[in-house]
Amino acid sequence: MAKAKELFKEFKIQSVSEFFRRNAAMLGYTGKIRSLTTVVHEAVTNSLDACEEAGILPYVRVEIEELGREHYKIIVEDNGPGIPEKFITHVFGKMLAGTKAHRNIQSRGQQGIGISGAVMFAQITSGKATRVITSTGGDEIIEAWVKIDVEKNEGKIVKKLKHPNPTGWRGTRIELEVKNVKYVRSKQGVFWYLKLTAIANPHAHIELIEPDGKLIVFPRSSEEIPKPPVEMKPHPKGVMTDDIYRMAKKTRKNTVKRFLISEFSRISDKKIDELIKYIAAIRLINREEDKRIKDQLFERLAKGEVDLILKSYGRRAKKVLKEVQKLMEKPPEKLSWHEAEEIVEAFKYMKFLAPPTHGLRPIGEENIVKGLTGILKPEFVTAVTRSPKVYRGGIPFQVEVGLAYGGELESTFNLLRYANRVPLLFDAGACVTTMAARSIDWKRYKVEDLDRAPLTLLINVISVHVPYTSTGKQSIANEDEIYEEIRLAIMEAARRLQTYLSGKHRRLYQVKRKKTLQKYVPEIARALSILTGEPEEKIKEYFLRLIEKKFENVEETLEQAVEVEADAEA
Amino acid sequence: MLKRERPKERFGYDPQKVLRKLEELGREILKEVRQGKNPYFDIPTRGLNNVYFDEVKRVIRMGDKLSRRYFLNVAHARKFMQTLLIAAYVKRLVSEGKHASLREAYYANKHTIPGTKENTFEDQSESDPIIEDLERMLGVLREEMHLTADRRGYVYGDITIRDGEDEFNTSKLGMGGWAVPGTVEHIQFVDINVDYALVVETAAMADRLIEEKFPKKERALIIATQGQASRGVRRLIHRLHYEEGLPIIVFTDGDPYGWYIYSTIKQGSINLAYLSEKLATPEAKFVGMTMDDIKKYGLENVTEKLKGIPPNKKGGPTGDYKRIIEEMNYPWFKNKEWQRQLKLALEWGVRIEQQALANKSLEFVAKKYLPEKIANEELLP
Repeated sequence: MAKAKELFKEFKIQSVSEFFRRNAAMLGYTGKIRSLTTVVHEAVTNSLDACEEAGILPYVRVEIEELGREHYKIIVEDNGPGIPEKFITHVFGKMLAGTKAHRNIQSRGQQGIGISGAVMFAQITSGKATRVITSTGGDEIIEAWVKIDVEKNEGKIVKKLKHPNPTGWRGTRIELEVKNVKYVRSKQGVFWYLKLTAIANPHAHIELIEPDGKLIVFPRSSEEIPKPPVEMKPHPKGVMTDDIYRMAKKTRKNTVKRFLISEFSRISDKKIDELIKYIAAIRLINREEDKRIKDQLFERLAKGEVDLILKSYGRRAKKVLKEVQKLMEKPPEKLSWHEAEEIVEAFKYMKFLAPPTHGLRPIGEENIVKGLTGILKPEFVTAVTRSPKVYRGGIPFQVEVGLAYGGELESTFNLLRYANRVPLLFDAGACVTTMAARSIDWKRYKVEDLDRAPLTLLINVISVHVPYTSTGKQSIANEDEIYEEIRLAIMEAARRLQTYLSGKHRRLYQVKRKKTLQKYVPEIARALSILTGEPEEKIKEYFLRLIEKKFENVEETLEQAVEVEADAEA
Repeated sequence: MLKRERPKERFGYDPQKVLRKLEELGREILKEVRQGKNPYFDIPTRGLNNVYFDEVKRVIRMGDKLSRRYFLNVAHARKFMQTLLIAAYVKRLVSEGKHASLREAYYANKHTIPGTKENTFEDQSESDPIIEDLERMLGVLREEMHLTADRRGYVYGDITIRDGEDEFNTSKLGMGGWAVPGTVEHIQFVDINVDYALVVETAAMADRLIEEKFPKKERALIIATQGQASRGVRRLIHRLHYEEGLPIIVFTDGDPYGWYIYSTIKQGSINLAYLSEKLATPEAKFVGMTMDDIKKYGLENVTEKLKGIPPNKKGGPTGDYKRIIEEMNYPWFKNKEWQRQLKLALEWGVRIEQQALANKSLEFVAKKYLPEKIANEELLP
């Protein structure tokens, strides 16, 4: 006993904040470049989400100021709805708190640790509080310095000032001082991150001031504010025991049945009757001792022969059915883990309508085209938004792809990866988007050497639950259904590129042909003049007129062809 | 005895005809383009698939397959331009009465096309075929267009030629005779005191005959081809036969190459099939060397082995054997005498050179071999 006492002398309960302080890597704070990008990402994401929910066209300005060696001040300012005074500590100070936590909703951030994580990171690297200046557009502007009390997982305001707001300014500006980070214009850096963000959010105006004072503007190219995402109830095929168990504890409904109907999609009264039968059948089958018979029965159950199975058990079945009915009527908070398990098991055998997809919010073909055009200035651009599909039997997702070619693009392949519009900058190799893009036989689409083609491919995977490969949330797992959808989307976009390229080659070829013919005209004219005595200039005229006439017709038909292509795409 | 016959053709070179044809070509093109039509040239196709053997005239002739070269076709346009360039150049040459070699014609027309990095001609291998095309299109000899090749071959014998302002007898120019120019179109035969022309493959043999005074003794004109007969030499042979009635006797090595030289002089060639009527001399006859000569004159020790693999051996026939078999299939060699000769060559696997006759004695060929054979008309058709 004494030994245990000794041991537990040092035992302390670790707060959530404390945990994340020690495991900053899980939040994306690894490496000097990535850490800086993560801080900016958290702030910008908050700004965009807030603007969208409030129906405001976002204006976001990021400023990176170098204070010393690996020591920066990051300023992010937006024109969002602002933060009411009493929520400041919640927003910036408390881990796992936010407007969206535990809601089945597609969003950029999810767990509500983003910006508070950034505040924490600033605090543990520089020791400085985060300065927040915000106003909801009322009479006053609040200026507050926020720190996190790591032990209590609480935000605290170390200093607060109030200023008058004569111009009615509305928005939020935060300033974080961080050390052990580095600003580099690499593909993992802030510049690239903001560029990608701007492409996927053409309704946002984003500015960046780099440490050397250079201003970079990613202008808005769409005036359309995306509709805020709609909450979606989970689909029975997509839930795990823990989900049901946890949700049951929190629900306001007073029976398991009501809870299931109201908090899951595609579950009706009728489906509950079915569920009861299935759970009963599963219980009965599980009592069988002979493994062979058991397997056989489960097989039949999978075929939907639930009524026949129950009938074969006769009176015993009736008894079990009653028990299960009772389970459905009991208060959800009393649902046991085992019972939740039974429900999930029954769901596996049952058939449901596909999950609703109204909660998915793709960028949209038109906006992808605007985003790519506005930022990259290519000569050709197209976008494909596929209709929603499900993976793992019940999790809805959707894929969209944008393809930009030529123009101001460099002659190198770029893959812009997004999950729910958030750029993914790391672990590209492990990402299903990379695998899908590389699996395409680009030669078939007139792209001879992908790595030297002036081609940028944007892939956005949208889901209420994006299957990331790790906690870093930088790469998407290779789920078969997602992989296939990405491939289909790329191929459709590539087909359009192919059409464009063959038209272009045709056009270029015509121009070249015309020039070839024209250059010989003076030589021909001189020779013919010697042979016939006709003046050179006149002969030249005849030949040039002949060439014009020939290519006139060709150009017309070409223009028509291009128009037809454009119509087909529209 | 061989004697000079009556002439069959008249000296036909007329520079005005060439100029008219060139101008007509230009006017046609101009007419087309003025009417907004895509101008073109029709050029008789080259190569084996557009030649045939004319059984009546007994020459290789060109078929009527044409390839059309359009201006508005990017693949044709450059050649279209080059054709007109050369045509215009020829017009100037002919009207000014000047001659240019093929190489000069190339350099004279080569220049950078203004505003480009492209030359009108990059290489003589581009201008030579254009000149051939013009010959085919117009039915006019290159020589008539005043475009000449390097001179090759020479003539020795008692004939008097007028070449421009010069007049000379070809037996009075020294042992080397008169070198045949690239074009013989303009020369005229003033006086001919020979009974026939002996065409000799090798210069060494021609020299031997001259040294032995064969031309004088036999009233023969020696024409040395120095290998395959040049166009100038072939045209000269043709003219001597048709315009001056000289019988033509050909004396080559007894091997596939020698027989081919004979074939070309007699029936024309695939390449120049369109000129056969002006270059070929189907009435020419062959004096030697033949396979029979080997036996008759006891030359077995001075034969050489044919090169290549015989037809009955694995991998054969190749080399000389293959060529002999090809020649056996020529329509003009499809007669008893030639088939027998060629078959013997195959059977024995040997060839024999003209110079092998020196094995007997230096004078043998001039004093015995040729006079005997020609007098007895032991000639192959």
